[in-house]
Amino acid sequence: MALLRKKDEGFTGDTVGLEGVGLRYDTGPEILTDVSLAIPQRSFHFLTGPSGAGKTSLLSLMYLAKRPTRGGLTLFGEDVTRAARGRLATLRRRLGVVFQDFRLLDHMSAFDNVALPLRIAGVGETVVQRNVSELLNWVGLEEFKNAHPATLSGGQKQRVAIARAVVNRPKLILADEPTGNVDDTIAMRLMQLFVELHKLGASVIIATHNEPLVARFPFPRLHLDKGAVSILPPLTAQPSDQTAVEM
Amino acid sequence: MFGIRSDLPLKRDTAGRFVLWLVMVLVFMASLAVTVNSYIGVLLNDWNRSVTGTLTVQVPVMDLGEKGAAPTVGKILDVLKRHPAVAKAEAVPRAKVIALLKPWLGESDVIADLPLPALIDVELRTDEPEAVAAVTASIKTAAPQAVVDDHRVWLNRVMGLAQGFSVVAMTIMILVTGALGLTVVFATRASLAEFVQVIEVLHVVGAKDGYIAGQFARRALLQGMLGGAAGLALYAPALALVAWLASRVDPEILPNAALPAAHWLTLAALPFAAGLLAMLTAHITVRRALSAKV
Ligand SMILES: Nc1ncnc2c1ncn2[C@@H]1O[C@H](COP(=O)(O)OP(=O)(O)O)[C@@H](O)[C@H]1O
Ligand SMILES: [Mg+2]
Repeated sequence: MALLRKKDEGFTGDTVGLEGVGLRYDTGPEILTDVSLAIPQRSFHFLTGPSGAGKTSLLSLMYLAKRPTRGGLTLFGEDVTRAARGRLATLRRRLGVVFQDFRLLDHMSAFDNVALPLRIAGVGETVVQRNVSELLNWVGLEEFKNAHPATLSGGQKQRVAIARAVVNRPKLILADEPTGNVDDTIAMRLMQLFVELHKLGASVIIATHNEPLVARFPFPRLHLDKGAVSILPPLTAQPSDQTAVEM
Repeated sequence: MFGIRSDLPLKRDTAGRFVLWLVMVLVFMASLAVTVNSYIGVLLNDWNRSVTGTLTVQVPVMDLGEKGAAPTVGKILDVLKRHPAVAKAEAVPRAKVIALLKPWLGESDVIADLPLPALIDVELRTDEPEAVAAVTASIKTAAPQAVVDDHRVWLNRVMGLAQGFSVVAMTIMILVTGALGLTVVFATRASLAEFVQVIEVLHVVGAKDGYIAGQFARRALLQGMLGGAAGLALYAPALALVAWLASRVDPEILPNAALPAAHWLTLAALPFAAGLLAMLTAHITVRRALSAKV
């Protein structure tokens, strides 16, 4: 996967750092209270917790769709609470997000959806054609490159969404319940995709409440409950269940 | 559209289609204002040119003696022809006076029997007020009953009316510009709300505000130009109809003046102006809306 290998972006320290972060919506209660957390480079975490615990909210802080109501947040070593809007856009180009509901653009083909981050970054069309085709092959969707999202199955949309998230070779991948809408077989394939990306050097955080799935991988869990995060050890019975990880 | 890649789903863009229609109507109105303004300019020029440096001497009917107007007219002509400021002076033939009255009185034979005032057309070498006053004074000395009209009062009133029309035309242009700007602002805001999910995705995949604003601006430019072109297309037959109706009016009342090239150029520029205005407005609206986020 030469496509996904990229020279180091030249930041030191943690990929994400949260320091006493609080988040509330308008005048509601604090969804997150006093969260301090460090996501090291090249790490892999599950993000677990009951529905409504704030998993999506925590991820949206990390992909800079929200600012913390209090506390500090660093991304790739930069203090984003003080960064200008234009700078946030630049930082976002170094991360890949898979939304729970995919958020594919319905008026574009699968190919154009995946190509979007590259085109927005001003990448030349020859490179776009080559990289996107290669990536669509990799996720097994080469036949569907011209299909519009509405005509794709849940699993296919999921893979388009993941391809779009990784096409820019992100250093941080944030996936919100990426296996929520697919059956177990596809869920495992998608997970193996993330593991592959992790091995290629990205930090990965996957929000999920699919415990059996979490139990098959030897990765630590960030557990959200009552607004606080605790780091739990891998749920897996065998500390290194390589058979589940390898494709 | 036009082979330009757009990240916005233009097909289900209801607000955008509304802008297109409204720009069409606005450009139609603006075109009308441009034509009115140009035509008034032409008329004023025409009237001004034909009237400055000229006088009309009128010998009223009731002051004519038994021999009619001839002696008085002769006396006045005599004075005028010797005056250094006068280039030309000649009595208006009765037939021409009748012709002048025809548009108002119709083709009736009655005119021929009417006692008509005698008229003398005078052309001066200059339109300086002193010369006009000097010539008027010598006419008055020769024939105190003669009425000298330097057309200024008439011209000033007509010009006042024409300027009134011009002000109205300018007001229409200002209102149209404002209406176009406001329409684009509100339509852009509606689109922003409609495409909020698309915009969030664009942001998350690394788009800067300027990029997103550019998408909206490009769309607004197209809408402005297309709507403007449609407005002109609608205006063309309307203008042709009015021109034809005007051509049927007697040229003594409404001079058959040709509209200047500037008029046609201004009309041709309207769609581009509409597009440009829409583009800038959309860009600013989006930048403002986005900078209030996150
Ligand atoms: N846009 C919002 N406005 C107000 N409250 C919200 C919003 N989004 C989420 N919440 C609330 O924040 C809490 C956490 O939501 P969320 O982050 O979606 O949790 P999870 O992803 O773990 O299910 C919930 O109580 C939810 O109702
Ligand atoms: Mg959620």
